[in-house]
Amino acid sequence: MNHLTSETFDENARAALDDAQLRGALRNATSLFGERRLAAATGLSNWEELRTEARAIKDDVLLHLDRYLEAFVSKAEGRGARVHWARDAKEANTIICGLALERAALTVVKSKSMTTEETHLNAALEAAGMQVVETDLGEYIIQLAHEMPSHIIAPAIHKTKKQIAELFTAELGIAPTDDVAKLTSTARTTLRERFAAADMGISGVNFGIAETGTILILENEGNIRLTTSLPRIHIAVMGIEKILPRFADLDVFLKLLPRSGTGQRLSTYQSLITGIKRKPEDEGPDELHIVLLDNGRSRMLAHPVTRQSLACIRCGACLNACPVYQQIGGHAYGSVYPGPIGAVITPQLIGLDKASKLPYASSLCGACREVCPVKIDIPRLLLHLRGEIAERHDEEDGQKTKGRGIAERFAFRIWVKVMTRPWLYNASAGLGRLLQRLIMHDGKIGRVSRWVTHLAPPLGAWTSGRDLRPLEEKSFRERWRSELAGER
Amino acid sequence: MSDQEIINSETTGDAREAIFRSIRSHLAASVRHNAVYAEIVEDHHSQTKEESAKVPFLADLDLISNAAAPPVERFSQNLEAVDGHCIVAHGEVEVARALAGIIAQLQGTKLKARRIALSDEPAVERLARLIATDVDQITVAPDAAALFGYDVGITTVQAAIAETGTLVLDSERERHRLVSLVPPVHIAIVEATQIYQTLAEALTVLRQEERVSSIVTFITGPSRTADIELTLAIGVHGPQELYVVVNEGPPLSVKAGW
Repeated sequence: MNHLTSETFDENARAALDDAQLRGALRNATSLFGERRLAAATGLSNWEELRTEARAIKDDVLLHLDRYLEAFVSKAEGRGARVHWARDAKEANTIICGLALERAALTVVKSKSMTTEETHLNAALEAAGMQVVETDLGEYIIQLAHEMPSHIIAPAIHKTKKQIAELFTAELGIAPTDDVAKLTSTARTTLRERFAAADMGISGVNFGIAETGTILILENEGNIRLTTSLPRIHIAVMGIEKILPRFADLDVFLKLLPRSGTGQRLSTYQSLITGIKRKPEDEGPDELHIVLLDNGRSRMLAHPVTRQSLACIRCGACLNACPVYQQIGGHAYGSVYPGPIGAVITPQLIGLDKASKLPYASSLCGACREVCPVKIDIPRLLLHLRGEIAERHDEEDGQKTKGRGIAERFAFRIWVKVMTRPWLYNASAGLGRLLQRLIMHDGKIGRVSRWVTHLAPPLGAWTSGRDLRPLEEKSFRERWRSELAGER
Repeated sequence: MSDQEIINSETTGDAREAIFRSIRSHLAASVRHNAVYAEIVEDHHSQTKEESAKVPFLADLDLISNAAAPPVERFSQNLEAVDGHCIVAHGEVEVARALAGIIAQLQGTKLKARRIALSDEPAVERLARLIATDVDQITVAPDAAALFGYDVGITTVQAAIAETGTLVLDSERERHRLVSLVPPVHIAIVEATQIYQTLAEALTVLRQEERVSSIVTFITGPSRTADIELTLAIGVHGPQELYVVVNEGPPLSVKAGW
């Protein structure tokens, strides 16, 4: 399941659907996270108010992002942090590799950060000669297996403990075991040595507070505290949208994020880091570098519909709620951010042409919108992106009278004609009832006969995965007229 | 500044300007869509409000359950709910006895508790001297490399939060950033008067300081992970056991709290 791309989404999804073990793991994970989220959210009487407030705060930040960024940067710099700006992934990686090289920081410990997954920082650091180790247990497993995370919150959700045990036996030389506690303590022991030796710690950022220049990072394991406390240099990589105006806003977001992500009232640890230590003899790094990454984010500000993508706090609730993610998991999306939020962010980050399949990986059921702690209207975003893709197809088709756009338009024109004329509707339904006999088998449409099992497109695209329910022998209107009308 | 650094700061200066230009131009471009979109959002919000009005069935489940409880009781319940242990004691002698009890109990387990690291808070050292239990070593604020060899870390805290069972550590006030993190057991001593009811109250106090401390840590229970098959494992990178001794007697230290 390595190195899948968004372009091959259909094939990826089909492969995932055939993977019984993966689907079992996904079923367990998404239903457990979903139940915990619901219990945690309903445990607060003002959950809806909190969501509304969080969204209002984020909308305010995004509408004045330049001013809030300026405030954040000046406060952070005032406290001794050094701020770097990166237009794209390559620039971010160049800055970080440059800092590591200048300071002869050869060993790097990393804590989980979706932003550095987005920039493929590990590959860049390794190419520059650094040793990089992921320290979040899930990310560590993924790194040992040379795979990609499959869930924002639980990166190794697709792997069984048996697979992990085999991996640890092969890579770390432990005796075969199926004891999760033993596997966990192996990771603890192995990684402690890396923490003790590391020159540089790299983390992500959950929130940056404009009022104070503080960065806040949440976690459960303690690896982020170690990453940001032990090495002499701390580099925090942060998307430019992660700003909150005031310190007090944390109350709202710390109530929403852990509950939405894991169903916890509060994650085990929050590190609130404001600049560098003020007394040199204190514990903690000597240097703090904050790398602010754009990488396509500022473009999303250009329309209110796309702008809301930047309100995302990366809780993963929409993944767990999504009937598509629940079946295919994260890898099939072929992108760093999977699930509904991935389907809207990825095309905007890497370009519609490279991820044009993703906005269609949804039934638009709206479950993602319902669970989103910042009320992102993901279905609307998906439709917006689909619209852009369709427009592009039209442009590419140009004057030519073929292409999906034209065919679709033609089909809908006929549809409208039929639906607005009762006599034509009745006639078509009658014709359909006659014709469907040709492709019906055992009272279902899906196989023509025992031997001919596939229908021609476009119907075949639907029936390859499930049966189509045939039209009833008598329509409701006919039954009403002949049987039911008399009983009034 | 080295050459490399000058180059870096130049590109980062360009990048800064470019990013600000991009933010401003895209925001400006969005203005003409805003009015149309506002109506749609209005629509959607009124819809969700109706939905939310229908769902008060489990409202206030965990808040009402102990919101009215006194802070110490509420703190203790919420800490135990996340696998921490809470002991309430009255005054120095009882706190010392509680510490001794915890350590004696740990010595019967794999966690050993033979080598004890302390923060630099004088009250912690005074209490540690009162521990009658026999241990191999007690050290005040060992350095980072040495800390990996210790079994237990003992600290005080600067505040606690009842609604979540959370400890608040300001590591500019006390050298406990690593003592509370590296050893497999963390024992924290909390004054009952330091416990705030809500996170919001604690945040307000943190902010009231003329300057926010450079490192504040919230701790809610022992380190945990569910990264392998969603099976909960306690103690992955941080402490595996978290004990809190709440002192309801006279304060142990003159500088307790912020």
